[in-house]
Amino acid sequence: MSKDEVLLDVAGVRLELGESLILEDLSFQVIDRVREGTITGQVVGLLGPSGVGKTRLLRIIAGLDVPDKGTVRGQNGAELDPGSVGYVFQDYPLLQHRTVRSNLELAGRIGGMTAEKAHKRASELLETFRLTDRGTFYPAQLSGGQRQRVAIAQQIMQPCRLLLMDEPFSGLDPEALDSVMRLIVEVANMDELNTIVLVTHDIRAAMVVSDTLHMLGRERKPDKPVTGARVVWSYDMVERGLAWQEDVVHLPAFGDLEKEIKARFKEL
Amino acid sequence: MTRFTAAFLPNRVVDRTTTSLIVVFWAGAALLVWVTSPFKTLPTPGEIWRAFGELWWQGGLGPETFTTMRLIAHATLLTVVISLLLSYATVVAFLRPVVQAVSKLRFLGITGLVFPFTLMTGGGYSLKVALLTFGMTTFFVTSMAQVVVEIPRSEFDYMRVLGASELRILWEVVVRGTLDKALDVLRQNVAMGWAMITMVEGISRAEGGIGALILNENKHFLLAEVYAILFVILILGLGMDYGMGALTNILCPYVVIRRVRR
Repeated sequence: MSKDEVLLDVAGVRLELGESLILEDLSFQVIDRVREGTITGQVVGLLGPSGVGKTRLLRIIAGLDVPDKGTVRGQNGAELDPGSVGYVFQDYPLLQHRTVRSNLELAGRIGGMTAEKAHKRASELLETFRLTDRGTFYPAQLSGGQRQRVAIAQQIMQPCRLLLMDEPFSGLDPEALDSVMRLIVEVANMDELNTIVLVTHDIRAAMVVSDTLHMLGRERKPDKPVTGARVVWSYDMVERGLAWQEDVVHLPAFGDLEKEIKARFKEL
Repeated sequence: MTRFTAAFLPNRVVDRTTTSLIVVFWAGAALLVWVTSPFKTLPTPGEIWRAFGELWWQGGLGPETFTTMRLIAHATLLTVVISLLLSYATVVAFLRPVVQAVSKLRFLGITGLVFPFTLMTGGGYSLKVALLTFGMTTFFVTSMAQVVVEIPRSEFDYMRVLGASELRILWEVVVRGTLDKALDVLRQNVAMGWAMITMVEGISRAEGGIGALILNENKHFLLAEVYAILFVILILGLGMDYGMGALTNILCPYVVIRRVRR
């Protein structure tokens, strides 16, 4: 792999729904982040106000929706389709009639694993995600945080370089939030080419886990129609020395950037 | 607040003992109203019990009940197969109008269809199975197709991102994912089958059946016998309903977990 290799290229995406222009000329790239001597995946945070089209963008990246214009390509320019991209939905849907283990094994079987291999992989992930004692539970018996962990584990049952997460921090208590943030970084760093794209309102959590932040918004200029959402600001957390750091929240630069992002968020 | 006070307030959870006491109270009240009823058209419990004994030992109630049970079971089996196939077919746009048309047929009365169905089936037992199946299918399809239509799009998308084929999605989300609801709809439709049984068995009385028996007793104004047969229908219907509820709990244990007590 080469440095600066493009792992995800979202170029000129435009989406209209009826009379509404949702996304317009929206572009960004995810570049392989290389750190000597470590395995470092990529975490990209997409910030933006409610209704700006973040989930729509994730659906387009996942291949679930087709944009009116623009392209989404993965590594080596490959087109992305459902099944090649993991997607953890906001409400963590799981098959209610299957147990946790069975949900995981199903994902493996769909991905082409043998029953034996799927069982082994499910056992590994149950342990990794601290869910071993929940294997025989049905989704309805799990807490919100546990459901989220199962949903993430299910998406990485099969080798999947790109994982999309819709509002992974919503509705979590501080302890669960810390746990999910750690989990996101762990999953990203399982492989050099792993990429997690997450959309969230939670500026601070996004700043902690991401190496790159993009802020989506609509441009509102006097006497001009409001545009569709596009990337209006980007922040390279690596360049700013704020990525991959323990206790990054205590750094003065982190606080300054948080204030700046919050101020800009209000303008959107 | 005592547990008994809670029974009279809205949105309160009552314990098992209180629930049992409430049931005993209402059963006792119903029995009291029955025994003290001034209406002569309502036979006493003793008269009904006597009529039941006579019907059972001399009137052939046992074999007639078996005939009806066989008819209900046969029609239910056909209804389940036809209705589920049609309901699951709503996911195919080309077949949707067919399903909607079958659903609309529920407004047709069975009586008007006796003649064409007789010509098609040749009458007798086949006619009764066909009529009962038709009656139950139109309602089953209406309810079940609605269940399928109401499956959220996110459940299909979720399976797609796992890389599942559309057939796999159909199996997991539409068929297995709605099994508990299918059993629930079936439960309601079996009850409707029992409600229709008198009419259907009355159309062709040659093979007998509990419906034919009740019509014969009705003709001679033997009210105690009629009520005795109605009780048999009620007990059989409730027994089947309870059995199907138990089957749902066994086949779909996750449903019990999802139920929230209010």
